Amino acid sequence: MLENLFVGVADWLRSLLGGLGTPVEINEAIVMLVKLVAILVFILLNAAWLVYMERKVAAYMQARIGPNRVGPKGLLQPFADVGKLICKEIVIPRKADIVVFLLAPVLIFVPTVMVFAVIPFGKNMAAIDMNIGVFYLLAITSLSTLFLWMGGWASNSKYSLIGSMRVVAQMVSYELPLVLGLLGVIMIVGSLRMSDIIAAQEHVWFIFTQPIAFLIYFTAAVAETNRCPFDLVEGESEIISGPYTEYAGMAFAMFFMAEYANIMVICAMATIMFLGGWHAPFGLDFIPSWIWFFLKMYALIFIVMQLRWTYPRIRVDQLMGFGWKVLVPLALANIFITGVGMKIYQAIGW
Amino acid sequence: MFGQGLIKGLQITWKEFWTKKFTVQYPDEQHPVPERFHGRFVLDVDKCIACSLCANACPNKVINLKREKVGKKQFLTEYVMNIQYCMFCGLCVEACNKDALHFSQDFNMNQYFYRDIPLVLVRREAPAEPEEEQAGKTGEKPQRQAKAKKQAEPAAAEAAAGKDPGKEGQ
Repeated sequence: MLENLFVGVADWLRSLLGGLGTPVEINEAIVMLVKLVAILVFILLNAAWLVYMERKVAAYMQARIGPNRVGPKGLLQPFADVGKLICKEIVIPRKADIVVFLLAPVLIFVPTVMVFAVIPFGKNMAAIDMNIGVFYLLAITSLSTLFLWMGGWASNSKYSLIGSMRVVAQMVSYELPLVLGLLGVIMIVGSLRMSDIIAAQEHVWFIFTQPIAFLIYFTAAVAETNRCPFDLVEGESEIISGPYTEYAGMAFAMFFMAEYANIMVICAMATIMFLGGWHAPFGLDFIPSWIWFFLKMYALIFIVMQLRWTYPRIRVDQLMGFGWKVLVPLALANIFITGVGMKIYQAIGW
Repeated sequence: MFGQGLIKGLQITWKEFWTKKFTVQYPDEQHPVPERFHGRFVLDVDKCIACSLCANACPNKVINLKREKVGKKQFLTEYVMNIQYCMFCGLCVEACNKDALHFSQDFNMNQYFYRDIPLVLVRREAPAEPEEEQAGKTGEKPQRQAKAKKQAEPAAAEAAAGKDPGKEGQ
């Protein structure tokens, strides 16, 4: 029952619409729309509560309590914050390129939301099971560089410009180890479809067969979302807030929420590619698959937050050096070893 | 090398995550205050002889006291501290010969209105009749003290009414 909760809801909706006598195509379109809206609401609520989680994690690691006044245990804090930010004026700098300036925070959410359409949250729970799912996800997520650059350029401020130049430099150079890290898994599976990749991990998760690839992917992904220790895009102590410097009110909140939604994307992706997706470990099948998926995803999100409150920010030259001199060669070596290993296994017919 | 320091750092933050939290949620709970804390002043009206040594000792001229002569004795009618100028140095408490002036442990003295800031410790009318005079001459010591206490009781009540602690901390 619980296992097929969401699938059941979709089927119930389909049969309900079937009873109305409308054409099947329209029914399918409505079901798809409901799925996508549900995912959208889920992302937005989650992004809001991840801010709360971040503050709580930070507080607990510093022996504080964190937000605890608004609502029970402070759980309504993000909504109070969003309410405040909506009420605030969106200040537009005088020499800003107004159209681009206002377009950037609107568009920043688009790639993130698009990506969630292909992520399988549980057994048969992907809104769209695309046969090039991984490729689609990588292609779309790299778009967010563009919108951060738009925001930074249109602000017409030196801090925004420096920050957005760092965004471009950092995200483009870490895109490479990210993709190369995933390539090892894709070579083993031989498919870009996410459900195939998860199905291939039924017995052994890829984190055990591809540990180096996981580390490379995770490091590059943290850098890709501009999180500490790679947060020199924001770099509060150097360039105020990077591309977000000139943004106020809800425009700033959009960037902020997009950051957390992106963390969700990379952690969901790591879960799918390396942690076996919805598969239950140790045969604990009685817990529904989607709960397992979320447990793994949130564990990774916790690690991302822990990284932020553990490590200091690295320098720009260290960032570039680490990306190009360590991660990329490691990823290439990993691909080489994976290829050789696969051939050896094929030769001995295992 | 090879990320040993990174793992060590993660171990430390992981350990810290589960430690006891130090936050004291102030209005609901308070840190215990040391015994000799310099908080709000308390005047023991019975002991006070209105000698104004405390007012003289004060470097900031915070203490304003008024006294009237009732019979042969000085009678304290008003004891107001302009607490906004007080630096809680404690010279007045040290200067008190009769050990009448004390610190309490209450530090929450903020007021909503400026006019409420001065700390009114005593404000009372002097009795017209020096009723103590004869008793003081003839009576024995315990009797005198008992009488003085009787007189002080309404005074203490007035002092409490003059300064409502319930209004503080708003």
